[in-house]
Amino acid sequence: MSASDVVVRNGLVFWRGWRASFFLSVLSPVMFLSAMGLGLGSLVDEGQSFGGVTYLQFFATGILASSAMQSGVFSATYPVLSKIMWQRNYEAMLASPLSVRDILFGELGWGALTLTQLSVPFFVVMSIMGIFDSWTAVATIPVVILVGLSCAAPVFAFTATLQTDEAYTWIFRFIVTPLFLLSGTFFPIQELPAWGQVVAHATPLFHGVELVRQLTIYDIEPSALWHLGYLLALLGIGVTLGLRNLEKRLMA
Amino acid sequence: MEQAGTALVVARGLTKAFGSLVAVDAVDFEVRRGEVFGFLGPNGAGKTSTMRMIGCTSPRSGGSLSVMGMDPAAQAAEIKARLGVVPQIDNLDIELTVRENLEMYARYFDVPKGVAGDRIDELLDFVQLSERAKDKVEPLSGGMKRRLTIARALVNEPSLLLLDEPTTGLDPQARHLVWDRLYRLKQRGVTLVITTHYMDEAEQLCDRLVVMDKAKIVAEGSPRDLINQYSTREVLELRLSDEQRENLKTSLDGLAERVEWLPDRVLLYTEGGEATLSKLTDSGVNAESALVRRAGLEDVFLTITGRSLIE
Repeated sequence: MSASDVVVRNGLVFWRGWRASFFLSVLSPVMFLSAMGLGLGSLVDEGQSFGGVTYLQFFATGILASSAMQSGVFSATYPVLSKIMWQRNYEAMLASPLSVRDILFGELGWGALTLTQLSVPFFVVMSIMGIFDSWTAVATIPVVILVGLSCAAPVFAFTATLQTDEAYTWIFRFIVTPLFLLSGTFFPIQELPAWGQVVAHATPLFHGVELVRQLTIYDIEPSALWHLGYLLALLGIGVTLGLRNLEKRLMA
Repeated sequence: MEQAGTALVVARGLTKAFGSLVAVDAVDFEVRRGEVFGFLGPNGAGKTSTMRMIGCTSPRSGGSLSVMGMDPAAQAAEIKARLGVVPQIDNLDIELTVRENLEMYARYFDVPKGVAGDRIDELLDFVQLSERAKDKVEPLSGGMKRRLTIARALVNEPSLLLLDEPTTGLDPQARHLVWDRLYRLKQRGVTLVITTHYMDEAEQLCDRLVVMDKAKIVAEGSPRDLINQYSTREVLELRLSDEQRENLKTSLDGLAERVEWLPDRVLLYTEGGEATLSKLTDSGVNAESALVRRAGLEDVFLTITGRSLIE
């Protein structure tokens, strides 16, 4: 499999700094969950209920999906643009028998591994803290990977069209951060005005958050299929556009 | 396998257009097995576009192209498996070490691990980088990076090596080292295709070349044949004062077969440079400086296009 060569290349680079990455991926959930979940939660829980769960449970599951989105989006920005136009790794790869398809699938395959590396420690910390007790919670890990890749693929397609990195500031400021704040991570979207709820339903993170919560702290409902379908469709569209745009960019 | 002298690359009416801009305009050429074939021309002549079409990273817009008997549009992976490419701008993996660059590339080419190890040792030795094997790429000099890129392009033992301006930007010493390595590859029977806008590079390395200008091939042959065909044997280069330039505007014509007025000097194309110079001195002209040299590809280009190669 030629796409695996791309994964191996990224793995070799990653391997040098794995201690720092691993440390961060364990430290960040511990920090987030204790500061926000426990600290803020102790105040919030006084007067609010979150569908029969504590604020810590509500928040932790939301933040897991949000981290996947952020990691996925970031992985498709600077690192990819660099390989397209600054370090020109893709040009070098294309001079070998590797194809544009191998590059895109290789990067997504590597993305899946980094998302695993991010979500497994998070998952372990959460289960130690007793945030969920449902056996379906195990399915969260593939779902979290899907959330990350569904967000990464369209951004990858966008990156393939860029000549500078200026647009990323806008993406993070006006897309990623609002999604992070308004997709039900910190509070139920029912608190939003009606139009805000409509917008939330259109965003991938909302579907990811809902899916993760159904698998961990709430009951699984038929709507899970709709959430899953949305994320798969977004991934499909992102991959299709990504292949087309990267081909246009590198094989002119 | 191809036999000696057969064509490794055949292009007929090969065309590349980017929208309304025609970068390569219906060119015909053949690269024969075992030769060093050159594309000589100024920047923007269409050399790189042609190379990228051969290298299967740019689909052609028209005409036909066969590389090692295969069609780049249909069998890109098979062709690329047997090509080596040295791009104009270095694209080494700066996050890896020198040796890892070669190891990773060997993996892209599915070179078996056992074979790759020995081959990489040999290649590092060949490009004189064995000492730097464990170093990162970034601190290497320009010449070293270029040599590493050449080693990387050889990791799959290619039948055909494409080099796009292999020595542009290198200092003279580094250039000579690269030329020496390329010459050794030629002796080993590797077919080389190079683009260059350096005359001396083309003359030193190429068995045969085509001169490209404005997307077209304007001349073809061995460096010596081209010089014989388009130039006299010698050239007398004069530097004249502004006053002399004005006074001599027409009177130089009879002294040489052809006179070329460049902004900084005047070129007199003649079979005997010294003789022409003494005639000139006898007629009372004392140039600020005068130099007799053998004609080269620069003169061929000037004759065909009326312009210098590097402006």
